[in-house]
Amino acid sequence: MSGTKILIVDDELIMRESLAGWLERDGHEVHKAASGEDALEMIKDTRYDILLVDIKMEGMSGLEVLEIIKEDDPDIAIVMITAYGSISTAIEAIKNGAREYLLKPFDPNELGVLIEKILRSQAQEQENLYLREEVKERTRFESMIGQSRPMQEIFHLIEDVAPTGSTTLITGETGTGKGLAAKAIHSQSDRCFGPFVSVNCGAIPEHLMESELFGYQKGAFTDAKENKKGRLELVHTGTLFLDEIGEISMRMQIDLLKVLEDKVFYRVGGTQPIEADFRVIAATNKDILEEVKKGVFREDLYYRLNVISLQMPTLRERKEDIPLLAELFLKRFANEINKPIDRIDRDAMDEMMLYEWPGNIRELENAIERAVVVCKTQKIMPQDLPIFSSDAVCTPLDMSLREMEKNHINEVLEANDWNISKTAGVLGIDRSTLYKKIKLFDLEKTD
Amino acid sequence: MQNSIIAVSPIGDIDQNIIESIREAISSAYGFGTVVLNAFDDITFAHNHTREQYHSTAILEKLEESIAAENVLKVIAITDKDLFIPILTYVFGEAQLGGKACILSLHRLMEGDRPAIICRVTKEAVHELGHTFSLRHCKEKQCVMGYSRGTQDVDRKGSKMCRYCTVLLNDELKKILF
Ligand SMILES: [Zn+2]
Ligand SMILES: [Zn+2]
Repeated sequence: MSGTKILIVDDELIMRESLAGWLERDGHEVHKAASGEDALEMIKDTRYDILLVDIKMEGMSGLEVLEIIKEDDPDIAIVMITAYGSISTAIEAIKNGAREYLLKPFDPNELGVLIEKILRSQAQEQENLYLREEVKERTRFESMIGQSRPMQEIFHLIEDVAPTGSTTLITGETGTGKGLAAKAIHSQSDRCFGPFVSVNCGAIPEHLMESELFGYQKGAFTDAKENKKGRLELVHTGTLFLDEIGEISMRMQIDLLKVLEDKVFYRVGGTQPIEADFRVIAATNKDILEEVKKGVFREDLYYRLNVISLQMPTLRERKEDIPLLAELFLKRFANEINKPIDRIDRDAMDEMMLYEWPGNIRELENAIERAVVVCKTQKIMPQDLPIFSSDAVCTPLDMSLREMEKNHINEVLEANDWNISKTAGVLGIDRSTLYKKIKLFDLEKTD
Repeated sequence: MQNSIIAVSPIGDIDQNIIESIREAISSAYGFGTVVLNAFDDITFAHNHTREQYHSTAILEKLEESIAAENVLKVIAITDKDLFIPILTYVFGEAQLGGKACILSLHRLMEGDRPAIICRVTKEAVHELGHTFSLRHCKEKQCVMGYSRGTQDVDRKGSKMCRYCTVLLNDELKKILF
């Protein structure tokens, strides 16, 4: 996981700059907003770990900012900054959900301790979430399918790549099956009798990463009551799959590079070198070269990993595979919950072929799973599909896209007083599509 | 090679021994030669009357300006005055992250016997310069780039950089030198 993101909201330039400078040297990614209004704009695009908000500002006050942000995101840590003499307001802010307040100028240690405390509690939450998520992940779909040309090319590439034993970097959007490709490479390689060990770098909290990968020696830290093997040790003679490699911290990148160079590693607190005998396959949905340019991903590690590269096609580039995949998912899920559903209605299939599938195969899989649950007949109908019904229980990804689309359309409708032709013109779609969307999103004119 | 000297700039009357120890520590940490360069002695321009302290950011700006013509890679000013930045009650020092100039205040580091003081001051000088080489605070317990809350923390940490900071420093040096 990458560093902490902190947003400073203060209309006084000198306060903003001096605080930002200090926090940057402390190792955080710092963003600055000169007003409450600016801050609200900025939090639309970025999720911050901590907000430091001055109470007294021109325009929107810190308390107003607090109220609006808390309503949207009750878990975000907000620290109020206040001048001596307005402590009562600060106390009110605490009642309204601020984590803490600081009297300016504040003691550097007070600031340091507070930030550490907030980050530690967030790390704990992440850890809990991680432990829950890990259990869930194991039940996903297991094999790679496709008759489309892009998939045939991938199969050929895998056949070529597998026996070389070379480090491989798989790129592609979320849900395109990068993990399945890694497994396929492993099972067709000389290491197929060794273990396939997967590490989701984006899901493991940074403070656990080192001991997860390297293991530890008894007594290395307070909780290390026994020796523990890390995944680099468990994967001996096999294939190590590092998913979401773009998410690992700079420190972990340095450690990983060293292992790949030296071919040995040590447990945390250990002095015995352990041989690194495994193949590495890494995957990312990020433009990793862009990350290298930005200086957040090490160039030397990139070249170590990218000996061979494999780009997974999106589902929209291989739409002819949709029927095959959909039927397969249908069979599996219907079987799982014992429902006699055996077909997908033609209209439903047409809709699926038209949809863009930003979440790719994973989104399709989720869509079919849900359709099987809600379906009342023997065949999946358009209204059973979450992409076309309004009360969908769907993945966070398509949820947010849908929400965005819905809100946008609603806003334009309101702005044009529900004049359909005008609205359709502004949105750049035809009137019938707009009608469909209104129905799909259950939009209604407010009086 | 050009620009491969780090300037140590005492502000006012600073103990010669301290300056020499700082120069030695810098050379051994960064592998560059050092030079003593008296940029200026008067920092009343940065003085804040209500706080009775000196604004370090203002000093850094002047420092950067005054050595612009000199052929030095980085500059560290040493003062015995107490420093502050507007949002904080005090700072041990300040550095331009990835920039040219940094400053260290001896004011809060002077307790205890002489060897202890020398040891502490040299660590913090290496630390502040580390920031000008784009290093940020480090979580490794022994690392000189660790953030110190007080003199006790400074005394507890080591005088060297950890393996991570060493790699990151080398990245930065490669960028500067090649
Ligand atoms: Zn520092
Ligand atoms: Zn370090």
